[in-house]
Amino acid sequence: MSAVSQSAAVLAPRTPSRQDAPNRRLRVVEEPSRRRRPRLVYGVVALLGALTIGGAQMALSILTTQSSYELSALTTHVRELTWQKQILYDDVAGLSSPQYLAANASALGMVIDESPSYLRLSDGALLGAGQAALGASSVDAIGRASVPNALITDTPLITAPDATIQGAPVETDVAVTDGGVANTPPPLTDGLPTPSTH
Amino acid sequence: MTTRSTRSPRRRTVIALAVVLAVLAGFIVRLVDIQVVNADTHIKDSMDTAFGASQTLYGTRGEIVDETGQTLAGSILEYDCQLDPLLLTQIDADIANDKSTADPWSEVSADIATITGQTPEDVRKIVTDALAENAESRYAKLERGLSTGQYRELADIGAPYLVCLQHPARTYPDGAVAGNLVGFLGVDGEALAGIEKSQNDCLRAENGSLTFQKGKDGVTIPGTEVQKAAVNGGTLQLTLNRDLQWYLQQLIGEQVQDMAAQSGSIMVVEVETGKIRAIAEYPTVDPNNVDASEDADRGSRLFRNFFEPGSTFKALTAATVLDAGGQNPLSTVVASSWETFANGARVTDAFTHEAHTYTLAGVLIDSSNAGISKFSERVDPATRFEYFEKFGIGAGSAVGFEGEQSGWLRPADEWDSQTTYNTSFGQGLTTTVPELAGAYDAIANDGLRMPLSLVESCLAPDGTVVEPALPAPTRVLSEQAAAQTREILENVAVQANYAKQIEVPGYRLAVKTGTGEKSDGNGRYKAGVYFTTMIGFAPADDPKYIVVVTLDEPTTVTSSAANAPAFQKAMTQVMKTYRVMPATTAPTLLPKFG
Repeated sequence: MSAVSQSAAVLAPRTPSRQDAPNRRLRVVEEPSRRRRPRLVYGVVALLGALTIGGAQMALSILTTQSSYELSALTTHVRELTWQKQILYDDVAGLSSPQYLAANASALGMVIDESPSYLRLSDGALLGAGQAALGASSVDAIGRASVPNALITDTPLITAPDATIQGAPVETDVAVTDGGVANTPPPLTDGLPTPSTH
Repeated sequence: MTTRSTRSPRRRTVIALAVVLAVLAGFIVRLVDIQVVNADTHIKDSMDTAFGASQTLYGTRGEIVDETGQTLAGSILEYDCQLDPLLLTQIDADIANDKSTADPWSEVSADIATITGQTPEDVRKIVTDALAENAESRYAKLERGLSTGQYRELADIGAPYLVCLQHPARTYPDGAVAGNLVGFLGVDGEALAGIEKSQNDCLRAENGSLTFQKGKDGVTIPGTEVQKAAVNGGTLQLTLNRDLQWYLQQLIGEQVQDMAAQSGSIMVVEVETGKIRAIAEYPTVDPNNVDASEDADRGSRLFRNFFEPGSTFKALTAATVLDAGGQNPLSTVVASSWETFANGARVTDAFTHEAHTYTLAGVLIDSSNAGISKFSERVDPATRFEYFEKFGIGAGSAVGFEGEQSGWLRPADEWDSQTTYNTSFGQGLTTTVPELAGAYDAIANDGLRMPLSLVESCLAPDGTVVEPALPAPTRVLSEQAAAQTREILENVAVQANYAKQIEVPGYRLAVKTGTGEKSDGNGRYKAGVYFTTMIGFAPADDPKYIVVVTLDEPTTVTSSAANAPAFQKAMTQVMKTYRVMPATTAPTLLPKFG
């Protein structure tokens, strides 16, 4: 639109200008002032500046790329370590469970005792019934394990490597060889055993 | 001037101008649309296109721990692996044409099978099935829920058509220990049962994301990462004790088997705080392997079931007449084993005896229905109803467990002549184990009933601790009435015919049994099978813990004596776990007959 109006405006004065022509006077054109030659030093500075900026940028870029490779390598390393950690965590999963501890203890012949007794240090009084353990556990953690744990179903017991908590039946040597007899230590005849010291 | 010849060129100019303007306007509208109106969508599109890769940052679901901080539920990573059948067949074709030196599928499938624990035939069948359905198939599910170890071994095979995707999963290090309460998640990570479900707001994690641009060799281009951090879930601490819970579960498991019962439970409540220290049930669920248990065993029966309590309610009636009826443990009634009351109601005892002059203590020691019915006349039914309500019967517990039921009790003015007496010994109404434990807490805790709780606190990742809001304790009895009721219940433990069976050497116990009748679903009682309960607390002179043992339809021994061995062992274990000191004084014996 503006182009159209501009061309109209240019066209319009053309005819009157021809009429004004006789009024023009000729005159000598002045010699154009000599252009000053640009100083070389500016150019050099500008060029060097541009090169420096470009160089710095390239250096920075190389550095960040370099470190990003390093970062990538470290990330991979972290990932591998995380995998290892998870594999190890999976390996020990369930080993801390009370079932496993109790089954291992049972396989060793340990029993869960009946009522406890406490020795009061201030006057040496025995609180509680003060009975000996009867050898029979109040629960059978290994023969009748009734608290399942899928994580350790096939994990061999540490104290009885041939048995598992629920899968393979447990042959507890202790229970079998003792034949149900109280699993208490032999009675003391010569007083408390004492270590020989020098 | 406006002739046809002069008008025509101008009109043409105007029309041309209008067309140009219209086109220009169209462009402007489109420009505004792209740059302003739909700018966000286009920016997103460009981000999606330019930022080639993105990954989900999984938040970790919070742990569930017991009162000592032992983990009951934790989070691990699992892997779902899939095959690309099309690529697989192409590679096999290349091998056949000597274009590739890779191992053929027949060999790789055997390797995969060894790792995943499937048979090689199964693995090959997955691929042939997928190809049979769609010859161009690019997806066949190999196996879900593989461990990190298996995933790494699969990755070491280096087969390009085998891809594994990681996702968070749940693990329960202790298996079925507290599995009835903790609950479990579905395969898609949705909380399906128990505390996992009811406390999901505390435990839930929010996933984040990381989008970035990748170089040709997979290196992230610096400065292109846009990260939205994941938010981990909070740590939920329960009031349970893991080791005690295991022992009691093992114990009730053995007892249910010994008594050939349908199911059984043991509940332990700390008297002073109302905190639940254990809820052992059998049969129950191992959340690591939910499929192994029946649907009915996958939750907590103890919260879900209500039952007719029977004689355990005699202690509540005794406490009521002690508190509101001006009675004392030595007040007497004359009762024979078969009594007819003025309103026509008939009450019989479980054993035949002549008319005795029973003390209130004697009525509970012998568990005489007729005796407690006579004592119940010392207060009016409305008062007895009011006390039942104060004891929390019919109101459920403050735990609010998923699917928790409450007992059912008609208002006193709707009691008919028989119900008026039957309610005094726990018939004609129902309750739940948590309600019963709460009621006995009022007796054990000097008349103040503490609200039961299962959740200790929720520790948010930002360090804030949120403790659940519990209702205020209820004053049910005076301290004196509570102490007298305890004295009576201690005499039950010492003088009842099962006293020897429940004796915990060195400790003073208070106890009451209940043999509740079961409905056969047709308005009658089942013959010969009962819901048996034994509830008690220790030490009787300064109660610390309440223990409830229930058995559903024991058959080896059908009465509440079936619960005695488990009760004795459970109470002993509770005393040991919490280092409760043995008694230094002896109980005061009350006479049975006045």
